[in-house]
Amino acid sequence: MPAAPSNAPKPARLGAGLVDPRSLMAIRSLEFRARVVVEGFWRGLHRSPYHGFSAEFTEYRQYSAGDDTRYLDWRLYARSDRFYLKRFEDETNLRCHLVVDRSRSMAYASAGVSKWDYARTLAATLAWFLHGQGDAVGLVCFDDQLREYLPPRHRRGQTRQLMLALEAPVEGRATDVGAPLRRLAELARRRGLIIVLSDLLAPLADWERSLARLTVAGHEVIVIQILDPNEVAFRFDRPALFQDLESGRELYVEPGVWRPRYQAGLEAHLREAAAVCQRLGAAFQRVVTDQPLELVLAAFLRDHRRRGRLIRRRETAPPAP
Amino acid sequence: MSFLAPWFLVGGLAVAGPLLFHLIRRSARERVPFSTLLFLRPAPPRETRRLRLEDLLLLILRCAAIVLLAGAFARPFLSGQIPPPPPAASGRQILVLLDTSASMRRPGLWVRATALAQARFALATIADRVALMVFDRQLRSVFTVAEWTAWPPDRREALARERLAQLAPGWAGTQLGPALTGAAEQFSDAVPGGSAPGAVELVLISDLQEGASLEGLQGHEWPKGLRVVLEPVTPTTPGNAAVQILPADPAVASRTNSARLRVVNTSDSKEERFHLGWLAADGGSLPRATNEAYVAPGRSRVFPLPPLPAGVAAGGLRLTGDAADFDNTAWFAAPEAERLTVAYLGSDSLRDPAFMGHYLARAFPATARREVAIVPALTNGAVSTQVLAQAAFAVIPGLLAPDAARVMADWVAGGKAALFVMTNAAAAATLGALLGTPVEAAEDAAAFSLLGEIDFTHPLFAPFAEPKFSDFSRIHFWKHRVLTLPAGLKARVLARFDDRSPALTEFPVGKGRLLCWSAGWHPVDSQLAVASKFVPLLQTMLEWSGAGAPSPTQFQMGDPLPVPGVGAATVAWRRPDGKVVSLAGDAPFLETELPGIYTATVGSVVRRYAVNLPPEESRTPPLSADDLGKLGVPIQAPSPVAVVPVVTGRPSAREEWENTQKLWRWFLAGVIILGLAEIGLAYRRTLRVGAGGAVV
Repeated sequence: MPAAPSNAPKPARLGAGLVDPRSLMAIRSLEFRARVVVEGFWRGLHRSPYHGFSAEFTEYRQYSAGDDTRYLDWRLYARSDRFYLKRFEDETNLRCHLVVDRSRSMAYASAGVSKWDYARTLAATLAWFLHGQGDAVGLVCFDDQLREYLPPRHRRGQTRQLMLALEAPVEGRATDVGAPLRRLAELARRRGLIIVLSDLLAPLADWERSLARLTVAGHEVIVIQILDPNEVAFRFDRPALFQDLESGRELYVEPGVWRPRYQAGLEAHLREAAAVCQRLGAAFQRVVTDQPLELVLAAFLRDHRRRGRLIRRRETAPPAP
Repeated sequence: MSFLAPWFLVGGLAVAGPLLFHLIRRSARERVPFSTLLFLRPAPPRETRRLRLEDLLLLILRCAAIVLLAGAFARPFLSGQIPPPPPAASGRQILVLLDTSASMRRPGLWVRATALAQARFALATIADRVALMVFDRQLRSVFTVAEWTAWPPDRREALARERLAQLAPGWAGTQLGPALTGAAEQFSDAVPGGSAPGAVELVLISDLQEGASLEGLQGHEWPKGLRVVLEPVTPTTPGNAAVQILPADPAVASRTNSARLRVVNTSDSKEERFHLGWLAADGGSLPRATNEAYVAPGRSRVFPLPPLPAGVAAGGLRLTGDAADFDNTAWFAAPEAERLTVAYLGSDSLRDPAFMGHYLARAFPATARREVAIVPALTNGAVSTQVLAQAAFAVIPGLLAPDAARVMADWVAGGKAALFVMTNAAAAATLGALLGTPVEAAEDAAAFSLLGEIDFTHPLFAPFAEPKFSDFSRIHFWKHRVLTLPAGLKARVLARFDDRSPALTEFPVGKGRLLCWSAGWHPVDSQLAVASKFVPLLQTMLEWSGAGAPSPTQFQMGDPLPVPGVGAATVAWRRPDGKVVSLAGDAPFLETELPGIYTATVGSVVRRYAVNLPPEESRTPPLSADDLGKLGVPIQAPSPVAVVPVVTGRPSAREEWENTQKLWRWFLAGVIILGLAEIGLAYRRTLRVGAGGAVV
């Protein structure tokens, strides 16, 4: 079994405020699922180590010639005799694309919760959360090409449309993460946040280039890889014909013989995906479908905040002498 | 182990199915959907033997279930001894209780009843114990459980049918209650230990008529486990009309012909117009016009009895117009007037109102039933033996000559009864002579006396026991004699004067009895002769003496016919079917099994008695099972098989033995257990395989 990445949340230990994914998936309405997770998250947040985090924080920047003097903080000037500009996080301008993999491999479920259910619930949760903060949220569904595109907007009915789009079943016969991301890079002209939700169980050769186009375009990219527990552990013990959910191809496999090789192959693949993300400055997060969504959401926010600071430091850092 | 239907064992070859499937499954492995084959490589299957069976335990379970199922259909049994001796505690106990009362003579009933009984015999298994009893007014056993079990099993039904064929409905009434309780008790007594083990069925085959006596059913404690199965039989045409002779109306008993008849028509009848005519005692018709009677359904009407043709003493009143003719004839024997002689041993004139004979002669008016002649028996002080020979009773009004007293004493001691009236104290000598013991008497000095104590328990005064008749205080006795009874004399004082001296005393004399009045009824002694009590008292004395008792002529089935009472050694009894039976003169006739006229002949004296069906037997509308259920009878609804009167064939001994053992049940239980085990095992295996994943 591959080792869990360092930024992955700990395995679900259900306590107060955490909802078991199986119980959560019993709720038919996707919107209601998202509300349950977000509201549960906010309730639990008061006791969480991330207490005090908010997107509505301010920061200061030294005044330079040409800056708008309306934003000078006169009180700070009175205390420190220095000019600082009061800068607000432009939250309403945050444009988030939720890029969700809808290929057939996402339909796999060994513990009662399919990856597709988990992915779309997580997408709905993030959409609900970000929409609640005033961000514009859009949706991209793909398999081997971009299937559905819902531009990011912040208006009434946007989340409802987004939920309806996520209600569609899986249908793709193949997965190609590269082509859809390239197409997205063409569609998303303005910088924003791009969250990719996929199992990434496809060759990654073309993927790095497409991801690079997004990061280069200034998008903040977060890749959340969703895996089934059985995909990680490969808990099969009897020889069987393994059938590819996407292509329908069949392979006679003796799990006892092939488990180590499978796990090694998967580990290499995951490592490569993480390495690509790290190289391109994208966040990579791996989740297993038995983890509570609140933990994933918390991890996402924590990572988003950390990356935001890094980016800000990079932006606000004085030019090298 | 043997099988009743061994060809079903061929079904066991179906085990080839699971064997084949378990072999085929190897090449057709289960497919496991998986999200990606990116990290998997094809691996050639490991070399295994081609005919290797997988899931051996499952295969064994499936094959065993199929084999057991085939075995169950083949109806197995252990053929140790065929037929085995019927175990005492297994099988049912069936008591068929068949109604043979007169109402079962209605058209079609008996045929249906016997068919139902035969069906019960045919359905009895080898382990069942069957008995047959019949009942009308009595319960009789036709064959017992012991006889049934002693018969060879393959001959039981035939032998039971033979016994059944000898039966026919009789003429008696229906005593259903005593029959049911009696049968239940006899049946439980027949079982060792007193309580019947296993299922006990009392199959009642009857028309369950409304007039059946249900006496004894209420509160009866039925044997444990007993169930009464009702098998009612119904006639082809409902309804019944009957004619019945009613007893003479006491209010008009003095008239020549006071008998009445009643025509009863049941509520389910469709007829209402009937004709009545007389039949001769031997069943032949009499030339007499018929009378018409209209009786609506559910009603009854009483008519005066049409007079019998002249010169005919007995006959049957025949009702026509009713299909159920078992009760359409009512037999009638005209009561014959008795001629009695009372010897009067007084020398006075019977016409002189100053003497007792005058009143005695007028105390016995002639009636339709009885003519009493008061005959003086004393001629010149001597007793006429000729009169005494015919006399049934004697009245001695006072003193007799010693010879005459001795004759009378012998006559009374021979078994007769006499009344001695002590008209003066000197008559005590005659009383002493009659009793054989000196008796003293004295004249009473009082102005008058009344009766002070009366023994109303004695038959003489019993009719006056009711308060409205018991007032004797208005009768004044101007003179009476004070009788002193010697110690040791057997006597019973029936009435005393208010001075406590005996007024009326009864003495046993030999085989006869003697009454002694201590005062006369002539006007000098008392007002008794003009009192309203006088005539009834003398009538009662006559009946008490045994001479004046009314002789009934109408009887019901089963009643004993009385002795004619003419003192003959033998009596020739003639039954309605013409059979003549001679019985002792003092023995009543008990075999009243047929309705009709029974004739008792003693020399020239002929007495006729009419025997009829009990009137309740004519109430033929059926009882419901609820009526019996309310009385606590443990009714059980008849099983659908039981009501089928025709049985196609009797099961063979092998079939009965198989039916007794019922091994197929164990086989089926095994199939179910194996099936459950197979389901559990297969489910576990599916879970194990299914842990690989699924597509949602």
